[in-house]
Amino acid sequence: MKKYAIVGFGGAGYHAAKAIRERDPAGEIHVYSDTGFAPYNPMLTTYYVKGSLPYEALFPFGDLEHIAADLRLELHPNCPVTGLAGDSRTLRLSDGSEVPFDEVLISTGASAVMPPIPGLDLPGVIKMRTVDDAVGLKNLLDSGKVKDALVIGASWVGIKVVEDVVERNIPCTLVDGAPWIFYVAAFPSTAQRAQKDLEARGVTVSCNQMLDHIEADENGRLTAIMQSGSRFSADLVAVCIGVRTNTGFLKDSGLAQGRGITVDRRMATNCPHIYAAGDCCEAVDIQSGQHRNIGIWYNACKQGAVAGTNMAGGAAEFDANILCNLAHYLDYDFICLGDVSACTDSDQVYEYEDERYYIRAVRRGDAIVCINMIGSAGSNGLVRNLFIKSIENPHAKPDLSAVCQLQKNGFPDSFIHFLGGISID
Amino acid sequence: MKHVFVFDPDRCCACSACMIGCMDQNDIDVDAGEACYRKTFDNEIELADGGVYCAYLSAACMHCTDAPCIDACPVGCLSKDPETGFTVYDNTNCIGCKSCAMACPFGAPRYRKSDGKMVKCDGCNERVKNGLQPACVRACSFGALTCVTEEEYQASGSNKACSALIDQLHLRKK
Repeated sequence: MKKYAIVGFGGAGYHAAKAIRERDPAGEIHVYSDTGFAPYNPMLTTYYVKGSLPYEALFPFGDLEHIAADLRLELHPNCPVTGLAGDSRTLRLSDGSEVPFDEVLISTGASAVMPPIPGLDLPGVIKMRTVDDAVGLKNLLDSGKVKDALVIGASWVGIKVVEDVVERNIPCTLVDGAPWIFYVAAFPSTAQRAQKDLEARGVTVSCNQMLDHIEADENGRLTAIMQSGSRFSADLVAVCIGVRTNTGFLKDSGLAQGRGITVDRRMATNCPHIYAAGDCCEAVDIQSGQHRNIGIWYNACKQGAVAGTNMAGGAAEFDANILCNLAHYLDYDFICLGDVSACTDSDQVYEYEDERYYIRAVRRGDAIVCINMIGSAGSNGLVRNLFIKSIENPHAKPDLSAVCQLQKNGFPDSFIHFLGGISID
Repeated sequence: MKHVFVFDPDRCCACSACMIGCMDQNDIDVDAGEACYRKTFDNEIELADGGVYCAYLSAACMHCTDAPCIDACPVGCLSKDPETGFTVYDNTNCIGCKSCAMACPFGAPRYRKSDGKMVKCDGCNERVKNGLQPACVRACSFGALTCVTEEEYQASGSNKACSALIDQLHLRKK
């Protein structure tokens, strides 16, 4: 009988457990978690704060007891794993004990970055990643004590915190250290439009602002002092400057790592019988062929299922790792497909704008490098699919059904031609 | 018993009767700006040689076997009905994040502005479970749109089915 370990129990861990149990009814599946929570989705935290969903809905697979009973898991909640011996597949636990396994999955996710900057531990300075973070912010906003807010970091999380605040009619300022908002995904022209829309909603936006430290006065009011000398005061400061993979405990494990644990398409690490999935790993990016940490829920779930299948003796591969960032906030949609940082001045640029859409896309020879679209939510899946097809086959043309849908959704023929023309078989 | 929609483009004239059936069955309020789950197309497409191709199509959720929208939903609203194989949903906890729409290669999930939730074709799941045809199929006078069990589809040897379209779109795993 095989003995499996799953370290970290989020979307990836849950889907791995499910896949293992489907293939191995008798195996022992041990789940280690440093919390007592059922698997939850960090993306939902801001929606809970907003009041869009009840507390229970943060846990999309149900409560821990039912999951454990359904999948027959040996749960080890509040039991952090402190080390791993890669060659012997042995976990070291916080009490010093060591437990060997046949197959190990690392699915420890990522944490919000809180750099060692003075003042980040002050009351009223928050981050947004965990269930506790969400409950804390909701309670704070519900208390009515927050009269204005400062969000540091125009990230995917930061913009959702802005939405939480603005929808409560609380004045909000958004600052970012980069030259423009959504820096890792948006062209300057896209960011300019998004910023203009935010400002129209009453949000003050200030870029090129690197945080130096945060101070509190005798009444607890916070002031963020920037390296530029600018000062931003607010009752609440949300620090949303990115995430870091939870892989510190693997320092001496022998596992190959970059920004996360390096895995192949089978989600296998360089150590036999040890796998990694979800926000803690770097899978192969199908656009660049390089390993890249792309932390989105869909990837975590699929990667977990692939890892679990392989751990239980099956054969599966994850081949959908592609940079794809969707921001949906305050009735505004922005999507980035591909790698904006890979674009160069010599690339072919396509740009289109009407009252409904803004599109800026870049092509290099046969290959589409990056697409930014504003207002396109209803067609994002169609365009994403065409983008993936163009990576798999640079000469592929949009099929008839996709062309008809894009035309009906108001996209210009010039964009369809940019995507490769029309294929009528 | 898994069901599949079979679309025969040679029989379709884009009369939109299927759309009307869908609107009626699902109480879609078009005047309020709601979009029908099924769409028809009668597009005239200019060809590179100067000619025009008249496309007649009817499209909705393809009820993919390994539906990407299910895993993409962060709240777990979508699932497979084990009886019919249709991709069904309970949008009680839908947050309108549009992740399902981004995952769908066919653009099937729609955002309903009136309540901020996503909606889509569920194959008329309850009708089919009760031995009835989906509303769109029932409304099609030309036999362009049919719904059969997977076994019936396999036995028919037809190459004009949704799965053929999936092949045409290069979506099937090699």
